[in-house]
Amino acid sequence: MRFDTVIIGGGLAGLTAGISLQEAGRKTAIISAGQNAMHFFSGNFEDAGPARERVSALFAAAGVRMNALEGALLMPMGSFRPASLTLEDVTVFPSDEHIADKALIVNFTGFHDFFGTFLAEALEKRGTTCRIRFVRLPEMEHLRLSPSEMRSVNIARTMDEHWEKVVSDIRVLHKDEDLILLPQVFGLKDAAVLDKIRRALPARVAFIGTMPPSVPGIRTQMLLKRRFEVLGGTFLMGDEVTSAALHEGVVSSITTRNLDTVRLFADQFILATGSYFSKGIAATPTQVYEPLFGLDIDYPKDRNAWYSDDFFADQPYMDYGVKTDASLHAVKDGEPVKNLFAIGSVLGNTRKEDFGTAAGLAIRTAFAVADTIKGGNV
Amino acid sequence: MKRNEYDVIIVGGGITGAGTARDCAMRGLKVLLIERHDIATGATGRNHGLLHSGARYAVTDQESANECIRENRILRQIASHCVDETDGFFITLPEDDLNYQAKFVESCLAAGIDAEIVDPKEALRMEPSLNPDLIGAVRVPDGSVDPFRLCAANMVDAKLHGAQVLLYTEVTGFIKNGDRIQGVKTYNHQTHKSGEYYATITVNAAGIWGQHIADLAGVKIGMFPAKGALLIFAHRVNDIVINRCRKPANADILVPGDTVCIIGTTSTKIPFEECDGVHVTPDEVNLLIEEGAKLAPALANTRILRAYAGVRPLVSADNDPSGRNISRGIVCLDHETRDGIKGFITITGGKLMTYRLMAEMATDLVCRKLSIEKACETATTPLPGAGGKSFREVAEKIWENPTTVQKAAVTRLGTGAARIQAEDSVDQSLICECEEVSVGEINSAIERLDVSGLTDLRRRTRVGMGTCQGELCGCRAAGMLAKAHGCADRARTDLKDFMTERWKGMYPIGWGDALREAEYTQWVYKHVLGV
Repeated sequence: MRFDTVIIGGGLAGLTAGISLQEAGRKTAIISAGQNAMHFFSGNFEDAGPARERVSALFAAAGVRMNALEGALLMPMGSFRPASLTLEDVTVFPSDEHIADKALIVNFTGFHDFFGTFLAEALEKRGTTCRIRFVRLPEMEHLRLSPSEMRSVNIARTMDEHWEKVVSDIRVLHKDEDLILLPQVFGLKDAAVLDKIRRALPARVAFIGTMPPSVPGIRTQMLLKRRFEVLGGTFLMGDEVTSAALHEGVVSSITTRNLDTVRLFADQFILATGSYFSKGIAATPTQVYEPLFGLDIDYPKDRNAWYSDDFFADQPYMDYGVKTDASLHAVKDGEPVKNLFAIGSVLGNTRKEDFGTAAGLAIRTAFAVADTIKGGNV
Repeated sequence: MKRNEYDVIIVGGGITGAGTARDCAMRGLKVLLIERHDIATGATGRNHGLLHSGARYAVTDQESANECIRENRILRQIASHCVDETDGFFITLPEDDLNYQAKFVESCLAAGIDAEIVDPKEALRMEPSLNPDLIGAVRVPDGSVDPFRLCAANMVDAKLHGAQVLLYTEVTGFIKNGDRIQGVKTYNHQTHKSGEYYATITVNAAGIWGQHIADLAGVKIGMFPAKGALLIFAHRVNDIVINRCRKPANADILVPGDTVCIIGTTSTKIPFEECDGVHVTPDEVNLLIEEGAKLAPALANTRILRAYAGVRPLVSADNDPSGRNISRGIVCLDHETRDGIKGFITITGGKLMTYRLMAEMATDLVCRKLSIEKACETATTPLPGAGGKSFREVAEKIWENPTTVQKAAVTRLGTGAARIQAEDSVDQSLICECEEVSVGEINSAIERLDVSGLTDLRRRTRVGMGTCQGELCGCRAAGMLAKAHGCADRARTDLKDFMTERWKGMYPIGWGDALREAEYTQWVYKHVLGV
């Protein structure tokens, strides 16, 4: 099989690059192992910086709407974070001060991944009187048959069908609150449900994050994947790269588990395999390495230096990532590989100054590499 | 007797203190137990959880070996819900001296420990995880014991017999009248209030920290702080305890416990000042894996959950730099005869295995001093929860068709699981998926087991002890505590402390899947939840 570009990794970075290239008419394949960081995405594009408008347009074409509002985002445990570009599920408040006079916080009975008590306390401190109420739908009872099924995505599947029942329950619960907080478990298939809920309720509605999986993240990933395929891209789902042919600084082809002996040839390859969790980077007691190509990663030999003993501090191990040249060519044995690029969190924090971190890093490096490839400056 | 006057004050909420409180209370004394942290925070919760048969000490210390086997048999009876009757092997590897085996078996038999030589092939069939190169195996009645459950059960029973327990309360000094200790001064770390409590006898059961308590009383005890590091593996690799049949050395015991197994230990003398903040070094981790894989080769490729270390409360006797040759024997000091200080005794040394005997010895001394003649009954009276023979029997006695969640609760609480609310499916939903801890069990622990925070909850329910190390359940349980205590601020701080504490045991083994899990957890807490 021959493509112009093969992208390894179907997360935010891989899909953004794939759509950009496919839009420019380049024949592109994405190999995706399945779950990726989109499944625990807060919906906040930190560090999007100069890519804000461009990513908004790319997402809009995929049916993903964004808020390009500067303001404060209410996090699941009650803290606020600055936001400038968010998925439409996320409510951006003008500031992190007084966001409402009275708030009704609605949760599902037995759903422990939405933190009403914490939210209430945080809002009370800012002068908002809060009430927490629970709804319980017979349609959700089947989830309780197994004690571990009350998770965001499972509830969201039920809600795709029964959201109107919840809305009518909330209408009964609502008194005089000017804000209603709901968990982000709506619109898994279709984000239009969010607006329908907003219109059907008698107060402003804010959807607040839950423990992963992230319903907005999963929906976004689905829509981006669909967009990529509509544009003619080939998305190889649930597959992984098993070997790569790299000779004299050029990758000629790769093989995957599902395609067995069929080799994938391409002019360029993009590594968007993520960090440790997604196995883009791996660690043993003595080394940190990139498992597919054996690319260069700088890290201290002394394992003690990999960690901070403060759980909440920036962890040194998260900085380590694939080394690249100025135009994001991956480096192996000190030399850039001519047709292999690295984007997204497989870079760790090695390119923080140029491209930021987290979601910002993913989209900005994706655009940069797509532009290099489209411009023929490979 | 006034409200703050007692017959006996026990300092220390580890297994020795809890056992002594239970024994004293059962003999009709008015008891107050004071612990500066939570129950089982010291060496009690930081060991293998090995129900020693005594075989390990048979060659070097017959007295300890004999104490162990007697207590081993007693604990199987009185704490059946805390004990897993696994049996144990002492294996000889090609690099070991097979002649030691004969001496070992002979010493075991002399100490009253059943020790049976098993053909290596047969041993390998019984315990497939064994190193297939073994050249000898001896079967002994080792087992595993859950020290948290055991400590909690003693504490609950002490309270059922009228004892009072003050947690998070530190003894800051003694109230003295001439050469007599009349009570203690305290400081409560949660309420930030000072207090004074009076008793005829004060028992120092503070483990390694007993040296400091004795200092406060004006008495010198030379403890020998010996740090032991251990690793928890994410799978129950072995079903039978595996030991090396040689003189006790590093990392030569592998104990299965619940869904995991534990290798240990190392032994390093540390300065007394460092007892509070022991951590595991990369060298210790490397040694534990290397030596552990000699017992069960699968360990080399098994995911590690965490590393931890405890400090053995040994009483120093000579200049042995490793502490291995110091007796594990029990030390019960009457400071009246030893130092001329009346109303003060110290119970130390010993082991988790012999806690009950230590408690009995301390309580006998207390009773002698109070001129009370009542015999010890702890060896024959089952602890709360130890009602049935097997976990399944207990579960079926409580529920007609127990669910897996209920069965898990029974293994933790024994017959006490009957107290868990389970009328509604909501109570059965899981907070901790790795360890199958339900909403009902957590509520029940919050209500009756003196839970003030997540770490306390972990010691009583195993929340956060599984594969994810608190990633999911930390937040969920914090949510429940916030609701129960009506204070989200405290629960949030508590959650941070809990995750920091979990991380301490994770980064020493931070590679492979453990690092993947850690990265995910750190990402979720910081960027998704915004903690």
